[in-house]
Amino acid sequence: MSRPKGISVAARLAAPRAFGPALALALGFAAPAPARADDGLIYNRDVRPILAENCFACHGPDSAARKADLRLDKREAAVEMGAVEPGKPDESGVVARIDSTDKQEVMPPPSSHKTLTAEQKDVLRRWIAQGAEYQPHWSLIAPVRPTPPPVADASWGRTPIDAFVLAGLEAKGLKPAPEADRRTLARRLSLDLTGLPPRPEEVEAFVADASPDAYEKYVDALLRSPAWGEHRGRYWLDAARYADTHGFHFDNYREMWSYRDWVIEAFNANMPFDRFTIEQIAGDLLPNRTLAQQVASGFNRCAMSTNEGGTIAEENLVGYTRDRTETVGQVFLGLTVGCAVCHDHKFDPISQKEFYELSAFFNNSTQPAYDGNVKDSAPIIPVPRPDDLPRWEALPALVDAAKAEVDARAKAARPEFDAWLAPQTADALAAMLPAGDLRLSVGLPTRDEGAPQVAFESAAVGDFEKDQAFSFGAWIKVPQAGATGSVLARMDEAHGHRGWDLWLEGKKIAAHIVHEWPGDALKAVSKDDLPADVWTHVLLTYDGSGKAAGVKIYVDGRLRESTAAADRLKGSIRTEVPLKVGRRNASARIPDVGIADVRLHGRALDGAEVADLAGLGRAWALLTKPADKRPAAEADAVFAWWTASRDPASRELREKLAALESEREAIKARGTIAYVSQEKSEEAAAFLLFRGQYDQRRDPLKAATPEALPPMPEELPRNRLGFAQWLLRPEHPLTARVTVNRSWQELFGQGLVRTTGDLGVSGEQPSHPELLDWMAVEFRESGWDVKRFYKLLVTSSAYRQSAVATPEKLEADPSNRLISRGPRFRMDAEMVRDYALASSGLLVAKLGGPSVRPYQPEGVWEAVAMPESNTRNYKPDTGEGLYRRSLYTFWKRAAPPASLEILNAPSREVCTVRRERTDTPLQALVTLNDPQFVEAARALAQRVLAEAPDFDARADALARRALARPLREEEASVLRESLGRLAAYYQAHPEDAEKLLAVGEAPRVPDQPPAETAAWTMLANQILNLDEVLNK
Amino acid sequence: MNPFEQYALSETRRRFFRRGGNAVGWAGLMSLLAKDGLTPPAMAGGPVGGSGEHLPPIPTHLAPKAKRVVYLHMVGGPSQMDLFDYKPAMGDWYDKDLPESIRQGQRLTTMTSGQARFPIAPSKYKFAQHGQNGMWVSEMLPYTARMVDDLCFIRSMHTEAINHEPAVSMLQTGNQIPGRPCLGSWVSYGLGSLNEDLPTFVVLVARPSNTEQIQAISARLWSSGYLPGEHAGVSFRSAGDPILYINNPPGVPPEVRRNTLDGLRALNEMNFRQVGDPETHTRIEQYELAFRMQSSVPDLTNTAGEPESTYALYGEDARKPGSFANSILLTRRMLERGVRFVQIYHNNWDHHGNLGGRMPSQCKDVDQPCWGFIQDLKQRGMLDDTLVIWGGEFGRTIYSQGGLSKDNYGRDHHPRCFTMWMAGGGCKPGAIHGETDDFSYNIVKDPVHIRDFHATVLQLLGYDHERFTYRYQGLDQKLTGVEPAKVIKELLA
Repeated sequence: MSRPKGISVAARLAAPRAFGPALALALGFAAPAPARADDGLIYNRDVRPILAENCFACHGPDSAARKADLRLDKREAAVEMGAVEPGKPDESGVVARIDSTDKQEVMPPPSSHKTLTAEQKDVLRRWIAQGAEYQPHWSLIAPVRPTPPPVADASWGRTPIDAFVLAGLEAKGLKPAPEADRRTLARRLSLDLTGLPPRPEEVEAFVADASPDAYEKYVDALLRSPAWGEHRGRYWLDAARYADTHGFHFDNYREMWSYRDWVIEAFNANMPFDRFTIEQIAGDLLPNRTLAQQVASGFNRCAMSTNEGGTIAEENLVGYTRDRTETVGQVFLGLTVGCAVCHDHKFDPISQKEFYELSAFFNNSTQPAYDGNVKDSAPIIPVPRPDDLPRWEALPALVDAAKAEVDARAKAARPEFDAWLAPQTADALAAMLPAGDLRLSVGLPTRDEGAPQVAFESAAVGDFEKDQAFSFGAWIKVPQAGATGSVLARMDEAHGHRGWDLWLEGKKIAAHIVHEWPGDALKAVSKDDLPADVWTHVLLTYDGSGKAAGVKIYVDGRLRESTAAADRLKGSIRTEVPLKVGRRNASARIPDVGIADVRLHGRALDGAEVADLAGLGRAWALLTKPADKRPAAEADAVFAWWTASRDPASRELREKLAALESEREAIKARGTIAYVSQEKSEEAAAFLLFRGQYDQRRDPLKAATPEALPPMPEELPRNRLGFAQWLLRPEHPLTARVTVNRSWQELFGQGLVRTTGDLGVSGEQPSHPELLDWMAVEFRESGWDVKRFYKLLVTSSAYRQSAVATPEKLEADPSNRLISRGPRFRMDAEMVRDYALASSGLLVAKLGGPSVRPYQPEGVWEAVAMPESNTRNYKPDTGEGLYRRSLYTFWKRAAPPASLEILNAPSREVCTVRRERTDTPLQALVTLNDPQFVEAARALAQRVLAEAPDFDARADALARRALARPLREEEASVLRESLGRLAAYYQAHPEDAEKLLAVGEAPRVPDQPPAETAAWTMLANQILNLDEVLNK
Repeated sequence: MNPFEQYALSETRRRFFRRGGNAVGWAGLMSLLAKDGLTPPAMAGGPVGGSGEHLPPIPTHLAPKAKRVVYLHMVGGPSQMDLFDYKPAMGDWYDKDLPESIRQGQRLTTMTSGQARFPIAPSKYKFAQHGQNGMWVSEMLPYTARMVDDLCFIRSMHTEAINHEPAVSMLQTGNQIPGRPCLGSWVSYGLGSLNEDLPTFVVLVARPSNTEQIQAISARLWSSGYLPGEHAGVSFRSAGDPILYINNPPGVPPEVRRNTLDGLRALNEMNFRQVGDPETHTRIEQYELAFRMQSSVPDLTNTAGEPESTYALYGEDARKPGSFANSILLTRRMLERGVRFVQIYHNNWDHHGNLGGRMPSQCKDVDQPCWGFIQDLKQRGMLDDTLVIWGGEFGRTIYSQGGLSKDNYGRDHHPRCFTMWMAGGGCKPGAIHGETDDFSYNIVKDPVHIRDFHATVLQLLGYDHERFTYRYQGLDQKLTGVEPAKVIKELLA
């Protein structure tokens, strides 16, 4: 592939006076202080924000919106147009325009509602005077590990991270907060590393541990907990937009929780992030891919899909590809590539063409345009249970071996078969036919070419009752066009079609067994078509059960799948009209269908008998031809029958094979499935779509990465695998930065770049750019070691600070951007719920498995679901499903778990890398009133009542479970007063106590007095709603 | 820390957060946060209370005519030529093919794109002219016919979307791709709250009497998109608790809840003294607001005190929870209590087949209740500053989908023209805007794109749609998007 230049935009933009990336960084972010008159101005810090805000919308990268063909975001273009004359502000068009007082001339124009301040104008003027030096956008320059800056207080820091943080604080004249106490740290660490509060005994052990590495040991123990993977996975699942329904329209169930479990397991196994990335983007394309790697590739399949009637296939496919591209853009590139769907990106150097080139990597999926509203929408693979896995993996070889044995025996048996067939006569064969209760065998005109038909009727046979078993069949030959009518019938059309028949419907074979059609009748129809223009043996057996399932349809001696088209038979089926071949009593003869060898048995033949009927019949037909005129296919068919039923050695081998195959089916049935990525065979490609419209195709494009990013090496394949490998190359400026920034956000509540999904031009600047780069390089050079990286973060002094906010710090650092204190923010929805479950002891710590349905108010699904949706009626689980961690809660996209959604959980309709964190009255109602939380309060109350004898001890136990610390005296007095009033109320209102204690399925503790338990339940409810509990 | 300082600090911060809905409070907050480079819209929490007289959080650009909005969305797309867009010439066209000159290669849904022919189905319903303006209205809507002089009809609405999900999204958010804020969120963001104990933007999903072909309606339609989360619609439920978890647990009367909240507040204050996080006070206030909602919401939804005359006006269906009539009655009660924006979704207008069988109950569901509601607002003097909007996400085709007889037919989706009406709130009473061709297929006069419609609605609310923006992903995002949009002056009073 050719590129205009083998260098990034970074280097090209920096020309002619190029400086190294390291220098650019150091200059770009030396200090967040505003430019002063005597400073050298720095483009990224001082100038670009002014241009981006006021100029780039019309004079930036978007070629369609560009006015006067002028772009100011590229130096050479701005210089060429005379807008910028380096060193000569008075000759620069920009300066003339911004200073103009003429409404026609002035920039930005009045219609834009934007104005420049005098200070901003001055910056632009001075910048041009200083040479109008441009810089590429900071995040497009590959990070180079900076040296941690010198700090005044060298004793504070524990990790290199701390030097960067402290330098920032010292520059502002701030001191870090003191280290938080051990209990606070125990709780913070446990919540950050496992998503669960620590148990009181864990806290006390940590507090009491005087060893120098107590902190590290505590951290290591948490990192080893399986809850680690659940907690990290939960964040990832937002980014991966994992959910349990398809999303659009019916929003039906989608079975892909194996992907969720893969994510948890990957974190628990500390899979390096590079592998984690490659396997999810392209696990299916890896050489010798494993089952797990294919499951991982479900990342690309988590997107919503539709089956809405009326939607246009191509439009759906374009939408799916766009989602996959935008998701990868946000998660790995930290760029809002989606902006370039309809137009060139207004700010970032991604043209519309480049978006579609990027999308080509994700446009080569075999996923169909419609999901079929089924839970297993292709492409999927079976995923056996872990304990079945060894056998599952061994089975294919065993099946192959068994097949080989069967084939070998068949080869060996052929002469034996020939020897058996040669001496046979029609009579001998006929004698072998199953005779059981044979009621009728109708004349056998030769089954020759053409379509012989017998004319036959008899009142004497076939007058069965509905509880009698019988079998009926014939050799038939169906024309290519199919035909409809009875092959054999004893049926009285004039009286509600009473009776029965063997019915041909196009090319499908069926049976009617009727008292009165259609309300009181059975009908079973074969799923597949009969072959046309060849003699085919059909035989149907009925077991007298009165159910459609009692009808079995055999074609050429083998049982076939059938469906019930009617299944309500109550009355008698006996009729006086005669049995007729080729027609019902009064109907016309079925046209163009050959019928021969009609047989009727007074019982349900078994499979072996039916196989013999077909096999022997075929053998007889074969014998009527001279040996050299016998069609090979017919001979093979007879041979197949013979080995199956007349050759004990073959039969044994076939049974062995069948057992292996059914074992495989059984493993498959009790396992689950995975949605996987699957590449089309052709080369990845896409079209540029005018304005993003699916039917407005422009140039065909090949898969390629955007020019502003490092080139994709020649040796990498132009598919998802190559793309993933490109993401992880050391010169890639984004992947590592974006990832460490997201980790930082998880622990500190906000990223160093707060716009976690957008490190592009329109995203925010990093608060600590050098720290971000240091961490990015550290993470990558550590071999993308995830646990090691989190350990680094949580062992830093910055992390260990107390969260206490002093007035001074609130003034200087109100939202803690400078990390002048420890993190404190309301936990994510799942953590809030899991916290209540864990502290009350209700939590069921089971890893993985199908999603569960905890309590949810009635009607949440029904209110939004279509009547046809299979996720319309929410039925809560009982038992363990009520108490699993929230990441296992069934996620219906059109109606996400109600209590979680109120606490800002996303719908998972699209990728989310940063949740909102609001504080609303509806959230208070959840934690106060949701049965899940009320029950947890009761369980917590029961627990402290059982384990402590008096108020003080109980209140203290409550605090240790819910707050991970002992109660303070002033708090105890509040609780004492609350409890006094609550107890008085429930003593006086025992019926209310009973009602409250009846909330939730968890058992009550016998002998605990109801009034006291109710009072403590409300006290626990009060505690579990504390700001301190809801905050990390 | 000096306790006096601490108190002063807490009071300052507290006032900012408590009075978040108040412009002064916001300004103060902004100045505090500006030092930090944080812009208010990204703040957690945000305005909740505020007095009735406060200035809108986003200053209006012109004098607002409408203070409140009620949006009645007929999900599925009502058939314009069976209700409002009278096409007598079609009588002679029964079962004849739609001329290619009319269809002009129009993109069709895959439900009819495979049809061999496109036979015209004239409306089976009788039309008559009503009111001073002589508006033609179908016999299906006798009550609506009585108030045509109060309504402002647009017969020339058009859109690009041809399927429900994108079309509803287009109408509600100005974009076919989900994820943008809807009109209600924009209004909440701009004008803020009018009350202290109810949400600003409420959604009601009414249950139609017939549910033969209802469409998916999900919370993504009333999400706040990129606007802060507090501007998302709060969906009141027709069954069970009107707001999720509004009721105390069984066995917990209000006095017990009050008791626990008092204890909670005392403990939270202690924690605040320890930690000094201003968010703690926001949380205390949210718990108090929740408590107030626990009495204000039941008061709102308890219609037992409504006089019999209410049901004479709205119809007997208004007694049935979840019906459209009941929903629009609740809407009036919400408006009285200061809810700014109410959105009702009424489903099953997707008449692909059996239009003749289904249209009567669809119309009956909404006809009298809409009339009653408008009369009620008039009586109460609220129509002048309440904008009421009625319509679906697109129109339907003149040609029949599936079987055609004189009395029954189906109609496919049709984006090129459809009819909506507005009332009150500064729109022009009695206006009839726009015309379509004889086939109700193409607009021949005064087309109104959804963007124009949005621009016009914003104008009635006091906003210039070009300047009513929110910065997101580096762009000043607006409801009307990037394509040109214009206010339709003829629709303004």
